[in-house]
Amino acid sequence: MGLFIILFTLIGGITLSAQSSINGTFSRKAGTIETTFLTFLTGTMFLSIFMLFFGSGNVLALVEAPKWQLSAAFLGTMYLLLTVMAVPKIGVIATSIAGIAGQLVIGVIIDHFGWFNSLVIEIDIKRAFALLFMIISLYFIYKGNKRSSEETD
Amino acid sequence: MRYVFYLLALLAGAALSFEGAIYAELGKTIGQIETSFYNFFMGSIIMGLLWLFFGKGDLSYTLKAPKWSLLGGILGVVYLTSIVVSVPYVGVGITMVAVILGQLVMSMVIEHFGWLGSKKTKINKEKILAVLSMIIALILIN
Repeated sequence: MGLFIILFTLIGGITLSAQSSINGTFSRKAGTIETTFLTFLTGTMFLSIFMLFFGSGNVLALVEAPKWQLSAAFLGTMYLLLTVMAVPKIGVIATSIAGIAGQLVIGVIIDHFGWFNSLVIEIDIKRAFALLFMIISLYFIYKGNKRSSEETD
Repeated sequence: MRYVFYLLALLAGAALSFEGAIYAELGKTIGQIETSFYNFFMGSIIMGLLWLFFGKGDLSYTLKAPKWSLLGGILGVVYLTSIVVSVPYVGVGITMVAVILGQLVMSMVIEHFGWLGSKKTKINKEKILAVLSMIIALILIN
């Protein structure tokens, strides 16, 4: 069962990179804001059906939820908008790597201070090295991209 | 000028982390699928407003575009659902590694073959080293 779930999660990652490329392509003709708008709109339609059939929570409790929790929607929107902007310029893999690096750095910081009621996990030697390898990874992707664009020129 | 777009992508990832931490709290009170729904619903409203005031592109291209290029929204839902389903079974750490691994390998394949309309750029030594460094970073974080 565990292995099956991990495979399913791998597919989740695959769909995310497919989404980035598809949206990058679509935005060249339709525009950045238009692409992001359409992605949210179709996602909402799909999730409405999904929620009606499989939702076990209470969506109406949104009204009583603290406003700072609701403000996360702006962040979700920002993520998609920025991704759609970056992909046509630097490509799918550079966008993915830079995005993951940003995600992990902030993730480590949130853990360290235990913001938003999260578990407190302080930065140790291992995590410091992890951050270092992330920077190395960013450096390589920048160089690798520069080289392939020089080759195609 | 291109490095600006690397910064934007970094910022996008940072936003995703904040979003994840905050939505984890919201998910506890209203449910996980409901939280996803809220994210997409609010996103539609925010982007709808942005589009009305600042949209310079061509939304009507939606009707002319090849149908596969409209799948972005559904793919985002698959991604979110896979995470929600996986975390309770295998934990956040393995989930994160699996998602990112799938994302990186697939990005490399997509670009190498120029699939889904992306610019075709060959895999090179540096890109493989970048992915390897990211995998080491992921193992160290967990």
